[in-house]
Amino acid sequence: MRDSKSMSRRLALPMAAALAVTALGAGTALAQDEPAYAGLDMDLSGTTIKMAAIGGGNYEAMYDSISMFEEETGADVEIVFLGDGFEIDRYLKTNYAAGTVDFDVAWNHTSFMSQFTNFVEPLQDYFTEEELAAFSPSIIDAATIDGNLQLIPRHADISALYYRTDLYGDEALQAAFEEQYGYPLEVPTTLDQIYEHSEFFVGEGAILYGTEFAGQEEAVAGRFYELLFANGGDYFDADLSPIFDSEAGIASAQWMRDLYANGLVPPDTPNLLWDGVAANWCNGDVAVYLEWYGWYGYFQDPESCPEVAGNFGMARGPVGMDAETHTGWAGAHAFSVAKDSENKEAAVQLVKFLTSEAVSFDESNTFGFLPVRSDVSERVVAANADTGNPLDAERWELANLQVSEDFRTPPLFADWISFTNEWYPTLQSIILGDVSVEDGLAKGVADAADLLDSLGY
Amino acid sequence: MTTQAARLSGPPPEPGRESFVTRLRRRNWFPYLMTVPAVIVVVAVVIYPMAYSLFVSFTPFHLLRPDTTSQFVVDNMFDNYARLARDDVFWRALWNTILFMVVTVNTSVLIGFGLAMMLARMTFAMGPVRVLLMIPMMFAPVLIGFQFAWFFNATVGLVNNALLTLGFISEPVAWLVDEPSGMISLMLASIWMTVPVVTIVLLAGRLSLSDELYDAASVDGASVYQRMRHITLPQMRPFFVIVMVLLSLDIARAYDIVRIMTDGGPAHRTELIWTYAGQLAIRGSQFGLASAMSMTGVVLGVVFTFILFRQMMGLRKDMG
Amino acid sequence: MTDTAQARPSRKAATQPRPTQRRRIHWRDIGANWLAFTVIAILALPAVWIILTAFRPNLEVNASPPIWIPQVLTLDAFESLFGLNPETASGVPVMSYLSNSLTVALLATGLSVPIGTAAGYAFSRFDFVGSRALLLLLLLTRAVPGVALSLPLFLLMRNIGLIDTVHGLAFVYMALNIPFTAWLMDGFFRRIPRELDDAAYVDGASHWQTFWKIDLPLALPGLGAASVFAFLAAWNEYQIASIITKTPASKTFPVGLSDFTTQFTVDWRGMAAMSVLMMIPAILFVLAMQRSLTKGLTFGAVKG
Repeated sequence: MRDSKSMSRRLALPMAAALAVTALGAGTALAQDEPAYAGLDMDLSGTTIKMAAIGGGNYEAMYDSISMFEEETGADVEIVFLGDGFEIDRYLKTNYAAGTVDFDVAWNHTSFMSQFTNFVEPLQDYFTEEELAAFSPSIIDAATIDGNLQLIPRHADISALYYRTDLYGDEALQAAFEEQYGYPLEVPTTLDQIYEHSEFFVGEGAILYGTEFAGQEEAVAGRFYELLFANGGDYFDADLSPIFDSEAGIASAQWMRDLYANGLVPPDTPNLLWDGVAANWCNGDVAVYLEWYGWYGYFQDPESCPEVAGNFGMARGPVGMDAETHTGWAGAHAFSVAKDSENKEAAVQLVKFLTSEAVSFDESNTFGFLPVRSDVSERVVAANADTGNPLDAERWELANLQVSEDFRTPPLFADWISFTNEWYPTLQSIILGDVSVEDGLAKGVADAADLLDSLGY
Repeated sequence: MTTQAARLSGPPPEPGRESFVTRLRRRNWFPYLMTVPAVIVVVAVVIYPMAYSLFVSFTPFHLLRPDTTSQFVVDNMFDNYARLARDDVFWRALWNTILFMVVTVNTSVLIGFGLAMMLARMTFAMGPVRVLLMIPMMFAPVLIGFQFAWFFNATVGLVNNALLTLGFISEPVAWLVDEPSGMISLMLASIWMTVPVVTIVLLAGRLSLSDELYDAASVDGASVYQRMRHITLPQMRPFFVIVMVLLSLDIARAYDIVRIMTDGGPAHRTELIWTYAGQLAIRGSQFGLASAMSMTGVVLGVVFTFILFRQMMGLRKDMG
Repeated sequence: MTDTAQARPSRKAATQPRPTQRRRIHWRDIGANWLAFTVIAILALPAVWIILTAFRPNLEVNASPPIWIPQVLTLDAFESLFGLNPETASGVPVMSYLSNSLTVALLATGLSVPIGTAAGYAFSRFDFVGSRALLLLLLLTRAVPGVALSLPLFLLMRNIGLIDTVHGLAFVYMALNIPFTAWLMDGFFRRIPRELDDAAYVDGASHWQTFWKIDLPLALPGLGAASVFAFLAAWNEYQIASIITKTPASKTFPVGLSDFTTQFTVDWRGMAAMSVLMMIPAILFVLAMQRSLTKGLTFGAVKG
């Protein structure tokens, strides 16, 4: 991939250009037409940088830009592992555990990062304040554990409210709703409203399911978490004691259970995962629900989802019993540097490159991933201003708002996944009605306490 | 001197003393040499990892805390097993696993047998039929899992769609959620995957039975039932044993299907030993506990195989 | 099952039709034919659906309510698979998966069948110390499913450096196939009369020569059947492959199937398309071995 013969001569001009661009880029994003690159200003010829990366779907397109990095710096980048989220999590876990780390740059994620704190290099000293300021502060904050910055975010996703404009805009339905419930039918802003709207729409036969959610694995545990904090509660307190059998917990569990018991969500909800709920929405069977931004492009494509393309709006997450806190379950895919790496400086350069304005903008704009940089966010809004569908630009602004204010990662401790694996079947039995809400929550809390105990917390 | 003895030990020993080395040299090494490669490979790939797994099952090994392997203390060696014994879900999974294996194997054999009997009466198109039968065998179990999960989807699945259109049900059934339809759906997928092999073997077996016995029986006025009971079934016995051995293959393949369709859920309703262990091991990183569960599952499989083994030894003797 | 097998089963005997008298076509026969057809059709339905899915547009594939009769057939899915359609290029390294799967399956089969056959011969002809225990041990290893084996095996392979290699995976599959092969060939060799062996010994042949020249040629259908099972097992295995392979350097088809699932979606069409591709070599192999398969599985009692 590199021509070692005339490296220095070949590098001179692009390096100078890159330096110029970076110099210009810093702090004057709006003034340029071209987004800036980063991480290209060190000569890395002769170095091989190995990366364990997430693959599948749209995640891989971005890696094409690496050839530019290789050309500019003279480094050789080798992707030693490529797999989907579960696979790479397993790969990293097993290699970190066995001490057989043969990569310099590794995938990371705000939901998984607590597992890897002992194995990644703290990054705060490798970046200037200015460089770090480019990224969303809430994410950087969330990713700083015990003063150590675990990762640099690549792109984010947060759950937003999708709703059917044809239903909410239908005058007959509006009239009927106001009559039955006593307040106007508008985009819901609270969890209770979502419940009532679902009840109404299904009752009127206007739609098959009022709302829906993925009912298994981390998906349901995360959704419950969202409801929990929108209702003012949390899974654990500062000492990692489980506290989700609080009033907030009861309200959240009851909400899910009532929806299921009254047929307002699909009957196989506990077996649905992300693709299942997306399919139901795409088929036009759902009125309003919480979903990730990442699906936006797919839903707006009339070839994939003719029932809902152009037929829906998006809104900020609802609040619960706590009128201040909106839902905002979020996660950010990211890059980290392995502690055992022997090329840390080079690895950091690669990370800077992959999270630079130009590369991020390309990825976000092409695939709809949410930017984690404010400069990219502005660019993306501008780039989508004239597509003919105002929602295309609006959603970026909405996303920016949510990412900066409502971004909330799951509880940050290494065994989050262990916990969700143990908790979600109990949550399912609450939803299904196999146990009462109180009993189920009590069991969940007891199990969690046991689990954390046995794991040494 | 019988050829049997000659094969075993060569020419008869001279009366009197002979050294150990001479005896060694005289022993027939051929069978040992022939089996040594097989033994080495199997020990390396299966026995050794299983031994390691057994060891780990006595430790609180947690994947992200590598030092936990050394916490092997004789006092709480059986901690993991004790936890399992206390765990309701474990017992449920154990019961489900036994139920699953027994029902799947027996139903597959029953359906395969019936199908083979019917096909044996067919007078044409045997070759293409056989190929058609083999098609389900060719799909990777992972794919079968995905596809059947989709078939049983309550909203967009084929099964509900067909049943609703034909008027057998009035509301969509949440196949993968309700009880006992959850286990039933899993068993259906597994049976679908298994019936072809059973049918092919039993069909071949049936076709190999000579007609003389049947002709004699109809001359004697035997009924269909009597023919089945006294001619067909006994003659087919060896083929049934072959089928059972083949089906022991399918434990692993069935796991793939279950993991994808329900992964033991929801709420542990369709939990099997293997899904439970899998979740604990990789996702939960509680590898010590998962190994203990694995061991239990292996013991279960071993018991099954052992019961089968006695049948098989009988069959071997019959054949010479 | 005491069939009188001939020394060399004549090919003529194999293709002669079953000696039957002329049977009246009973209503039961017609009924049985129809019933059989129905059952087979029901059995084939899911398979047909999967195969069809590969040839339909995405709209039809994800439609709710499902569209039973395909309205449109297209090769789009295959185009994407091979990267021929830039817009929807799935970027799945199909050729790598194909070559890896083929290599692994052929290697595993090519190695496990000889080793297993050798062991099977030993078990069948020689009653040596520990033979029963050994056979039992080998067979018990089949009670261990891939999921129980995968993590300890990973740690072992890692130490040897066989992770993410085609040979490493083939080695594991070889080990897993040997017990079944040994058992199958043991049964098969037992049907070959010992008198043949004895005649050879009288002529001065060694054990090996007897095995190689007399018994093995007669056991070819058994080898065929063993090969088919070994091949298919390696071709479709997922659990262990997913742990041992990391990149397209060694990934096989079943692992590649999960390329079509991201954390959030399942690309049914892509998966179905790749499954159709996966099936082709498998079908070809099985077709080639079809006769051997039935003869082999029933220890030569059946004329295929």
